[in-house]
Amino acid sequence: MTAQEIVFLLLGVVTVGSAVLVVTTRRLVHAALWLVVSFGALAGSYLVLTAEFVAWAQVLIYVGAVVVLLLFGVMLTEAPIGRSDALDSGNRWAALAIATATAGVLVTVVVRGFKDAYLPPRPGGGTAGVIGSSVFRGWVLPLEVLSLLLLATLVGAIVLSRTDVVREPSDDHDDHDDHGDPADHGDHDGQGRGDA
Amino acid sequence: MDLYIPVVVLGVLAFGFAAFSVVMGSLTGPKRWNRAKLDAYECGIEPTPQPVGGGRFPVKYYLTAMLFIVFDIEIIFLYPWAVAFDQFRGLFGLIEMALFIVTVLVAYAYVWRRGGLEWD
Amino acid sequence: MNSVSVLAAPEIHAPPVEFSQLAPMLIVFGAAIVGVLAEAFVARPARYAVQFPLALVGLAAAFCWTLWLGFSEKPQHAAADGAVAVDGPTLFIQGTILVLAMLSLLLIAERAQDAFTAQAAALPGSEAEQESMADGGIQTEIFPLTLFAVGGMMLFPAANDLLTMFVGLEVMSLPLYLLCGLARRRRLLSQEAAVKYFLLGAFSSAFFLYGTALLYGYAGSVRLSAISAALSRSGGSETLLLAGVALLSVGLLFKIGAVPFHPWKPDVYQGAPTPITALMASCTVVAAVGAALRVFYVAFETLRWDWRPMMWGVAILTMMVGAIVAITQTDIKRMLAYSSIAHGGFLLTGIVATSESGLSATLFYLAAYGFTTVGAFAIVTMVRDTTGEAGHLGRWAGLGRRSPVIAGIFAFFLLAFAGIPLTSGFTGKFAVFQAAADGGAVPLVIVGVLSSAIAAFFYVRVIVVMFFSEPEPDAPSVVTTATTATAVALGLTATVVLGVLPQPMLDLAGQAATQLFVR
Repeated sequence: MTAQEIVFLLLGVVTVGSAVLVVTTRRLVHAALWLVVSFGALAGSYLVLTAEFVAWAQVLIYVGAVVVLLLFGVMLTEAPIGRSDALDSGNRWAALAIATATAGVLVTVVVRGFKDAYLPPRPGGGTAGVIGSSVFRGWVLPLEVLSLLLLATLVGAIVLSRTDVVREPSDDHDDHDDHGDPADHGDHDGQGRGDA
Repeated sequence: MDLYIPVVVLGVLAFGFAAFSVVMGSLTGPKRWNRAKLDAYECGIEPTPQPVGGGRFPVKYYLTAMLFIVFDIEIIFLYPWAVAFDQFRGLFGLIEMALFIVTVLVAYAYVWRRGGLEWD
Repeated sequence: MNSVSVLAAPEIHAPPVEFSQLAPMLIVFGAAIVGVLAEAFVARPARYAVQFPLALVGLAAAFCWTLWLGFSEKPQHAAADGAVAVDGPTLFIQGTILVLAMLSLLLIAERAQDAFTAQAAALPGSEAEQESMADGGIQTEIFPLTLFAVGGMMLFPAANDLLTMFVGLEVMSLPLYLLCGLARRRRLLSQEAAVKYFLLGAFSSAFFLYGTALLYGYAGSVRLSAISAALSRSGGSETLLLAGVALLSVGLLFKIGAVPFHPWKPDVYQGAPTPITALMASCTVVAAVGAALRVFYVAFETLRWDWRPMMWGVAILTMMVGAIVAITQTDIKRMLAYSSIAHGGFLLTGIVATSESGLSATLFYLAAYGFTTVGAFAIVTMVRDTTGEAGHLGRWAGLGRRSPVIAGIFAFFLLAFAGIPLTSGFTGKFAVFQAAADGGAVPLVIVGVLSSAIAAFFYVRVIVVMFFSEPEPDAPSVVTTATTATAVALGLTATVVLGVLPQPMLDLAGQAATQLFVR
């Protein structure tokens, strides 16, 4: 067993272990933080497999942004921050059975599918340069459509979160998040809360 | 892989320093708790702003996170493009990425006009 | 493409992009982007007046271009570096989606004032919600979002490789998740529908992706033609292939709403604003079946002896469960949702046929079913009482006496769903069942006829309720407006014409199908 394989194995254990903790912990915020560990170890696994670009994308997007979004999402709700028994679902044994079965099937598929096929990792095989020349060679249209997906996402985010009611400037409800559209009305200088 | 050894070393150092600071702080520091110390820390002022609908956070944090994530993903696509830039022949590379950025910029214009960039 | 060949050929040239063949999609996406810009820079009171014509013109222009492409007899091939296949079936499906989207858009525009929330971000029941309602504004983002969804629906069945298909799937789904949550009344139900649809949809997307990954492991490519070629070489790992096919099918069948991947459908159809339900029940189904047709006809055709048993089972389950559970429904939208599930089963029999006649029959069925569905949901938006749409079936009692014309048209749509002769539903079912029987799936056809009979029972029950029971004193009234009436009239016309004179449309579908799919 090479050093690379040992590192990969250890990272895999960390990934699976923290993933289990994500779903078993009784504290919601801890679940999000364990997710960071899981994603980070996964990024490490990608790195060991020489998929450098994917690894850094994983760090930047999942560890950096998605988990932050999840944490904000948790904090937007009335979810309890501390230890809570409400996080346990009555369905957890059924869920466990299904999850185990799914994992069993998928692992069997991969093991039987690839059998003893072995491909030594090729250093530099997954750098940004290689990905770049592949993406811009064969996947031009999907890439452009992805930008539309990002656009639609932001439109959706605004629709869901920004209120847009036209209010008279004299109307003084500064606890409401309501003056969304600068195209439609005048100044709000009087309403700004003092920043520290 | 050798490329990453400095990164690993730096990571170990950073982790060691953080662990050392936390452990030493809790071992050596005085422990006198009061209400102010247990309050959420926000640059010494009252934690603001208070949520409207009874939730914990105002929804504007969500919008900030969404903005971040969308532009983060856009940047991710810029890396391979930038690295492969000298392989492009003609204006194709420039036009394609310009198209991509302009589309996301439309979203930016929309968010800006909708006041998504204002905090209050 | 492996890195060695990339390094050997370091220059990247502009790929040939056939703008003409991609134009319908590009027009729709372009209109969507202009719509977002209009949201940003047009003053609020004028937005509706800009957005609705913009969306309608965009869809109409795209449709005209599709027609031109369809009749210009050019040799069709895979466009945009092989990412998109613009062939006969694609053009037929895209054209169908565009027409149905225009009809749905009429409903969306008409009912924007009272089907969609004025302010999605306002908490249900809050002061802000009251104010935004009183303000009279509407969330005009529904138009660009609808266009994004329609653009995704056009890309989804046209994609020539699984990755492009996945991108199309997401572009189609994401705006729909959002639009589902924007109902004006019963907002919590609507938001619940949106969250359910989003979570389950994301889950099914994961299945789709995993299947794609396994198929890539099998064939070394995600291009449908390459997968097909790898199959005929008959090397590689059978396990990866079969697991990949299964997982990919889960993703596709979820979007069609086939049993056992259907539970989202009634909840979402009920909770979503009815114009959006019309859009989903018509266009999304067309797009999803179109994508399934392409995947199973192009990539897995040589494998059909392996996936057919699975598809048989799913089709039988879908037809039976859809028809039987529909009987117990008391809400008109839920009932139509289960009816849509059952129709998904009939469409699957067309996929099982794997023949040219199966393809053309499925295409015809899609068009016929889409028109009828939009018409039926249009009528659902018209029957209203003081609390909005009268959803409960009991409230429809005696509608035939109060508004015989509307009740009559609705009854006609229901008969078309049931597949009574001289309606488009009969022609479609007949064509699909004939193709399936020719393909050796006689038991499937028997189950199909049986479930049609069961389905007819609850369609007729609604008709009986409408015409043969006494109206309640505060029974809902029918609110007719110009655009909704147009949508109903067009749906009715299509249902009648495709039932009485189906030949031109059958010829068109047949012509589209003779090309089969480009690879």
